[in-house]
Amino acid sequence: MDPLERLYVDALLEDPEEPKRSLRPQLLAGARARRRPAAPTADWARPYAGRVAAMDALLAAAVEDDWSRVIVEGWTLQELVAHLAAKDGLLAASVGAPVLGPELTTADSAARTADVQSYERARSPEQTRRDWRAQADALCRHLANLPAAEPAALDGLNAPVSDHILARALETWVHTDDAARVARITLPLPLPEHIHPTADMCARLLPWTMLLSGHDASGRTLGLELTGPGGGAWHLALGAEDGAAAGEPDARITADVVAFCFLLGGRGDAETFEATLAGDVALARDVLATAPALSGP
Amino acid sequence: MEAPYDDRLLHQRVVGGDEAALGEIYDRLASLIFGLSLRVTRDRVIAEDITQEVFLVFWERPLAYDPERGTLRAWLATIAHRRAVDHVRVEERRRVSVLGPRLFEREPDRLEDTVLAADEAHRVRQAVEALPGGLREVVELAYFGGRTYRQVGEELGVPEGTAKSRIRLALRRLADALAQEEV
Repeated sequence: MDPLERLYVDALLEDPEEPKRSLRPQLLAGARARRRPAAPTADWARPYAGRVAAMDALLAAAVEDDWSRVIVEGWTLQELVAHLAAKDGLLAASVGAPVLGPELTTADSAARTADVQSYERARSPEQTRRDWRAQADALCRHLANLPAAEPAALDGLNAPVSDHILARALETWVHTDDAARVARITLPLPLPEHIHPTADMCARLLPWTMLLSGHDASGRTLGLELTGPGGGAWHLALGAEDGAAAGEPDARITADVVAFCFLLGGRGDAETFEATLAGDVALARDVLATAPALSGP
Repeated sequence: MEAPYDDRLLHQRVVGGDEAALGEIYDRLASLIFGLSLRVTRDRVIAEDITQEVFLVFWERPLAYDPERGTLRAWLATIAHRRAVDHVRVEERRRVSVLGPRLFEREPDRLEDTVLAADEAHRVRQAVEALPGGLREVVELAYFGGRTYRQVGEELGVPEGTAKSRIRLALRRLADALAQEEV
């Protein structure tokens, strides 16, 4: 806004006046009909419900051309949304939540993605958006009644359902960011209280990304300091079989919390990643270089 | 001008589908938005509709707002103003069409993303010119000189609070002057 416009609007705003009756109740009812709020769910699943709502807000603004534009992995926005629905559905299947879309014939996420994408290609983008949202909300509702420690499996990875849903939150966030970049929209960050558990899940994955990349870091420990809203400090054992880390960390990494989550999510280059390294710098570099190892499409 | 931290947090919550955040924004800004809509349309029912719609549009398309570019208050005020002006123009045309066709009807510029049409901008400038010297000075410093309240106070040798209340008085005078001319 230029100064004259700002002056004009500020002048008009100098005359606050209450409507005769409060518009609040009808506003909230109307809002629910225009865009669905985040689905009610367990506290530990809220970061996921929030990212689903954010993706839905992005999709609400998409026009016809946007849906056929390639976003990532050679997928259009519609195919990307189908991919999210496919993986959400596999997690749903693993914990006994409803699985929507085509009949479930595989537990492999690439194969399920292909199935859901071919099913959705025959439907309109708006139907795909609704199908994805219905699957995500069904999963959220089911999680409301599950303990965080309930075992779940996705892509052969066994972990408590609370960790799997944080991984789904991260993937939904990363892909919403992919789509927002293509649409040149600035995507605001998740709330700090949603970023923190996501970063915690990422930090706890580091022994596994090291192991998966063939690095044996048994007995070594890492001091990880993540800065920015939702950040924190972790002292991690880097061997997958190690007990709790104790004493002075062998290596230290300080980095931005969002950049760190995105590195684990397969966005960002370990070579150029902005971080302050200390202690055993070679070990810290290995940690960063292997961090994306678990990120799929 | 970047939005304050509160605005950012409320925006993050709305994007994340938190209805309670919309309620908080309504509580904070509804009377301003309603007052603005009422001033432009002079119709309480229409102003209520516009107010409701402004908050609904924000909820439905929260990513259209970018906190890097301004406050939430200014953003919602811009939407409200645009809708209120559209309403007034449609009403004017309706009245005109009752009186008979006009050869040179100006179409409202729907694609125009700015708040002010050229003739409105001219009226605002005139209203600023017509302010008493002291009030004109604070407005010029704060809006066209980009000074903060504190800096305006320092330049005029008065406390920040005095500078702030003079600016608000000037804004009210401007609002009155603009309302008079619209009649």
